[in-house]
Amino acid sequence: MSFEVPIGPQHPIHVEPLMLSLEVEGELIVDADVDVSYIHRGIEKALELRPYIQGLYLVERICGICNAAHSLCYCLNVEQLLGKEAPPRARYLRIVVEELSRIHSHLLWLGHYFHTLGFETLFMYFWRDRERVMDMLELITGNRVTTAYNTIGGVRRDLPPDAEQKLRRTLDYIEERVRYYEKVIDSEPTILARTQGVGILKPGDAVRMGVVGPHLRASGIKHDVRLDDPYSGHDEIPFNVITWDTCDCYARVKVRLRETSECVNMIRYALDHMPSGDYRLKIPPFFKAPPGESLSRVEAPRGELIHYSISDGGDRPYRYRVRTPTLANLLSVIEMLRSRGDYEVYIADVPAILGGIDPCICCSARILITDEAKKRRTITTLDDIIRFSRGRRVERR
Amino acid sequence: MIEKILATVFFPGAIFILAISLFYEWVDRKLYARFQNRVGPHLAGPFGLFQPIADLIKLLSKEDIVPMATDRFLFTLTPILAPALILFACMFLPVAGPSGIISFEGDLIAVIALLSIYTIIVYLAGEGSNNRFASVGAVRAAVQLLGYEIPLTLSLLSVALAAGSLSIRGIVEAQAERGLWFIAGIQAIGFVIFIIASQAEMERIPFDIPEAEQEIVAGWEVEYSGRRLALFRLSKDLELFLLSGLGAAVFLGGPMGPVMPGLEPMLYTIYFILKSIIVLAIFTLVRTLFARLRIDQMVSFSWRYLMPPAMILIILTEVIM
Repeated sequence: MSFEVPIGPQHPIHVEPLMLSLEVEGELIVDADVDVSYIHRGIEKALELRPYIQGLYLVERICGICNAAHSLCYCLNVEQLLGKEAPPRARYLRIVVEELSRIHSHLLWLGHYFHTLGFETLFMYFWRDRERVMDMLELITGNRVTTAYNTIGGVRRDLPPDAEQKLRRTLDYIEERVRYYEKVIDSEPTILARTQGVGILKPGDAVRMGVVGPHLRASGIKHDVRLDDPYSGHDEIPFNVITWDTCDCYARVKVRLRETSECVNMIRYALDHMPSGDYRLKIPPFFKAPPGESLSRVEAPRGELIHYSISDGGDRPYRYRVRTPTLANLLSVIEMLRSRGDYEVYIADVPAILGGIDPCICCSARILITDEAKKRRTITTLDDIIRFSRGRRVERR
Repeated sequence: MIEKILATVFFPGAIFILAISLFYEWVDRKLYARFQNRVGPHLAGPFGLFQPIADLIKLLSKEDIVPMATDRFLFTLTPILAPALILFACMFLPVAGPSGIISFEGDLIAVIALLSIYTIIVYLAGEGSNNRFASVGAVRAAVQLLGYEIPLTLSLLSVALAAGSLSIRGIVEAQAERGLWFIAGIQAIGFVIFIIASQAEMERIPFDIPEAEQEIVAGWEVEYSGRRLALFRLSKDLELFLLSGLGAAVFLGGPMGPVMPGLEPMLYTIYFILKSIIVLAIFTLVRTLFARLRIDQMVSFSWRYLMPPAMILIILTEVIM
């Protein structure tokens, strides 16, 4: 006999409202369904009503944790519209802050992940170390969380005089801690029991479902926007794309841990080879963008982030579209939650599997289309976004 | 007669046990926090000593909510039965002397039985609240019982075998006679099994499966709030005292130690508390070190790694005797 267990919209593992209905037989999950449409915030519409410079502040608030990625993506997008490019020093500073916030996001995720597995001690340890990174973000940008560092045409301020030394010290500390955590995770039987073989996502399925980011790399596929489409001077900085081929929750932990130390190396390299010169272009605060469309991609901590905009020559975007990584990854959760054959999923695995994609719901609450009449749910693809917005533009003219 | 009543109500009876079990909760929380590099409770009273009682009072003063779908009878009965049962079991502990307030030949078995009945109360509390999370949690509690109960019983019985007595008093006196605690020797294996199985009995990490917050919200106690929750939390504190006290009595020689004439009851109490806090610290350490297991992993772990050593221990004890 099966019955339904609702994980959400309010549940201790969700920081944000998400509805996950599980059909269970005893402890075994036979079917799952997901609904993200609880917090539509209308940010895209709000962006269309504001001048470009005001949109920058708004776009940072799409997601608190990957705010650096969102603002970078927005700036790249608008710069592309204007046909300008940030100076080399700005590009390197952007990388420093982006990678720092990636470290902060990964440490946050790791802590929260072990919390969902019931390992409170590691949770406390990870978050304690994360504080050091937050301090560095505050030192460089002036803010702990919403950094407000990137701006159209560069970054808002230069490195403070003593920042480099402090930053290097923090990086050493983080690197050492990550090495320690890797040892802990590899030698702790309860963690291995809870993550190995849990939530398997085959590489073929991952590609078919359009999974992105560390989640995809944990399925053994080498995909990283920083490598495939270097957007801020990433082609000048050597780094490894971390992949792991066990395709389970353990792989997701390992990929994020290794990526953290890779970020440390990238920041070190950027500090060593920091170009001199201006850190921002002089762009007047209010400007009109030439008509056209532009698409920018950034590797956010959670995966590939896409911003797409259309300008009709005014001082604000005619249409703005944001596609966040969590949404791309959510479909795979349903796939991973279904027991079939030898692959058994228990209620206890739900936090491990759902947590594995690093869900950030509030930036995702708008692209899932539910057709109640046909009982069908579809995800809007990138092509759909472009076709949809082009169609509207034609309609208007 | 009067003395007996005073002993039952005040020292070392109900009032003392309630107070000390709240103190044990504080020790547990503080140690847990320090192990995790946190401060822990520090506001109410010196070093936050009164935090557990402040929490208890807060919960007691809250609105009493009985959801409509619940079984009213079970929903009222189980929160009262749970602490009463464990408090009764605590009466067997030899706090201020070699024997507890109640003592008879075979009281060790009685304590084990009361612990099992407590799990059944937990099951009823979960099923009675008629909630999907609570049902899952209740079933998990019952399944978990299949895993840890037999190893726990065997580890205690092997000590009873070694002491040649089924009463806690007999075990304590046997250790005093030998001049050696049971933990120093082959029964150390039993102590390890006892620690692990008690962790499951108390639903603490890595075996907090029946109330796993991140999976089934609060498990079997999800519908309980206000004073009903306060009573369940109190029964957990009492259980903490009971099991660490039982561990101290059975494996660490109980209240016995060097005494000065005239001061025996006081010194006995101090020894007992010190020893049981050592056991409590081990409980807390175990809670710090692991992630939560899954229910199927827990049961198979118990039958693979707890049962065989427990059986071998019984045989070895019998052979050595």
